[in-house]
Amino acid sequence: MILETKKNVMDLQPGQSSVITSLIENVYTSKLMALGILPRTTVKMIRKATFGNVFYIKLENHQLAIRAEEAKTIIIE
Amino acid sequence: MIEHNRKPVVALLGNPNSGKSSLFNYLTGLRQKVSNFPGVTVDKKIGYLKNENMEVSIIDFPGTYSTFPNSLDERIVTNTLVNINDSNYPDLVVYVADATQLERHLLFATQVHDLGIPMIFLLNMVDIIEKDKTQINVDEISAFLGCKVLPVSVREHKNVAFVKNAIFEALSADISSPVVPLFKLDKVEAEVAKEVSEIVPSRTDYHAKLIAHHYQWLDFLTHDQKIKIENVASKFKFEDLRTQIRETMSRFDLHENLLKKAINRNTPVKATLTDKIDNLVTHKIVGPILFFVIMLFVFQAIFTWASYPMDWIENAFALSGEWVSHILGDNWFSDLMVNGIIAGLGGIIVFVPQIAILFLLITILEESGYMSRVVFMFDSIMQKFGMNGRSVVSLISSGACAIPAIMATRTISDKKERLITILVSPFISCSARLPIYAVLIGFVVPDTRIGIFQAQGLALMGLYLLGVFGVLIVSFILKLILKSESTSYLMLELPDYKKPIWKNVLLTVKKKVEAFVVGAGKIIMAISILLWFLASFGPGDAMQQAEENAIELSEANNWDEAETENHIASSKLESSYIGHMGKWIEPAIKPLGYDWKIGIALLTSFAAREVFVGTMATIYSIGSESDELTIRQKMAAEKWPGTTLNVYNRATSLSLLVFYVFAMQCMSTLAVVRSETLSWKWPVIQFVFMGAMAYFGALFVYQLFS
Repeated sequence: MILETKKNVMDLQPGQSSVITSLIENVYTSKLMALGILPRTTVKMIRKATFGNVFYIKLENHQLAIRAEEAKTIIIE
Repeated sequence: MIEHNRKPVVALLGNPNSGKSSLFNYLTGLRQKVSNFPGVTVDKKIGYLKNENMEVSIIDFPGTYSTFPNSLDERIVTNTLVNINDSNYPDLVVYVADATQLERHLLFATQVHDLGIPMIFLLNMVDIIEKDKTQINVDEISAFLGCKVLPVSVREHKNVAFVKNAIFEALSADISSPVVPLFKLDKVEAEVAKEVSEIVPSRTDYHAKLIAHHYQWLDFLTHDQKIKIENVASKFKFEDLRTQIRETMSRFDLHENLLKKAINRNTPVKATLTDKIDNLVTHKIVGPILFFVIMLFVFQAIFTWASYPMDWIENAFALSGEWVSHILGDNWFSDLMVNGIIAGLGGIIVFVPQIAILFLLITILEESGYMSRVVFMFDSIMQKFGMNGRSVVSLISSGACAIPAIMATRTISDKKERLITILVSPFISCSARLPIYAVLIGFVVPDTRIGIFQAQGLALMGLYLLGVFGVLIVSFILKLILKSESTSYLMLELPDYKKPIWKNVLLTVKKKVEAFVVGAGKIIMAISILLWFLASFGPGDAMQQAEENAIELSEANNWDEAETENHIASSKLESSYIGHMGKWIEPAIKPLGYDWKIGIALLTSFAAREVFVGTMATIYSIGSESDELTIRQKMAAEKWPGTTLNVYNRATSLSLLVFYVFAMQCMSTLAVVRSETLSWKWPVIQFVFMGAMAYFGALFVYQLFS
């Protein structure tokens, strides 16, 4: 069993940034990549939605809204 | 369409928010048509362009991120691009990319390139690039993609005039030179591509590889072909998912190198205007409040502003009806023209103001980029009920009218979420229910005050809340029982805020109005004529008998002309087919506390709920134009035959109110559900379950209070 020590986007507090290291393979991984979520890219957590687990994140020059289950697959430094 | 003589097809492709549709509107203007791609409600926008030598069709495809689709819209694009026999298969692709987002927008372009389809690459929004003092080397990109690259700004009409010429030039150019693929297939992929291309004719190896990825849902493959491809895939252990990711990654690596050479960015990292707006607009507390203020405005607009043009339309149709009946005289044909066709036409056109105003406002919100923020804010709540963040807008609009609200669900790309929104929207009390509520509420609640509130006002609010309760319960159940075709995901771009382009907004409004008048209009007209027939004719000479009896009665009582007319109308309606049907269903509705007169009104108000009030007036011989007060007085005096019991006691009135909250008493909504789901299955299901809820809800309250 592997100890889960890697951080993902959900661990970022609003205002914090980090660099994406890898993505956990999933049916929507190629879509995340097409949206600019790529290794070596900087991601910044902007805010969480009022209701529920939806996150507003900012990449180099664009913004995305993602759900918790999607955010969990984005591994950061 | 004639296949063998087809015009060259030019496909507009690009990511969402690339400005593709604005370019389409610029190129084709009013010469465009909207239809559906076969079998699905995904808009297929087609326009025409011609010069002295030829005419071409331009198709605006849905915005797409890559050839690995995640939505129905994107599947259509891939399905078309890998089927060389598809009637929409392009001879030329005009690819629109946002120059400020080139890193991402190049991905799909390199895939289209590898499919071997000739392409023109447009670098859109160069005005913004120039303001940022960023430099892009067009020649580098052109060399990389091996095609013509044009820097343009569709918004500022910069260089777009050259696009048309470039299209005709590219179409007449010789394109025999083979494509050198940008992405190199690995050994397994190459083997798979080779064998697949023997099963399905493919232009390039990449084309064959895509078929191997998607063969399960590509609709043009035969069962036999699918089995063969499946065998090839398992023979070489072709891993769909892992291969997709590898390809995407290596394509990004490829053009990352290109962009290092081609772009000289000069954008200092600072808070943009979009960031500042979003600090407020998507703020945890301010965001939702601001949304409800905007929605209050939208609601007010379709509820109040639309009522003026709606009154004009109703008056105009009433006047032309009078005029026609004056010219044609008093006969069945004249009656058909006036009460069947003209009334039916009026019943269609009367919805146009609401549809136009709602889409004007919604398109402005959509074009500016605000709608994506709404989805961000409400995604989580709406997910619990199987819906989408965008559903909130439809549900609120339903408070005015379900018809534009249902038409507005097109932007929800998930099929299940969209369907649930369509099915539950009519539970929200619309403006047509208000006249019924107004007439009946007085029988249920006295005109007094409870604290600072008016009791009747509170009852009215209760009826609205009952509708909301219907939405929540039914959507929750539908979420559990409806199958989902794909995994649900959000992954939504929140584009930079932009000023809406008015041409886009107005063209959308025009298309929506046309879609309603043409799509749903036919059905509304047919039902309207059917209802007219049922109310104007009766079995045998029953109608004539009724008229003669009424005249006799009138002479015996010395009624004046108006009163005689009212009595004739009343007894004719009673002896018409619909009158007989009303009596026939009486045993079924008696447990709800209704007599056959209410039965008739339930049937006629299928045309539109507010018809209930007019029918009541006709039945009680007070003329269908009477005001609500007169009708209420008449209804209050009504007794069950042979007794002193009021028909409109508290229980019956409450039962009727509950019935109208839940029942799908609106043929126009059903017609729109039909045209938005492309089948009769869903409107029928909706009619049945809403009817069942109405019946049993009414039964329950009647038995409880009587």
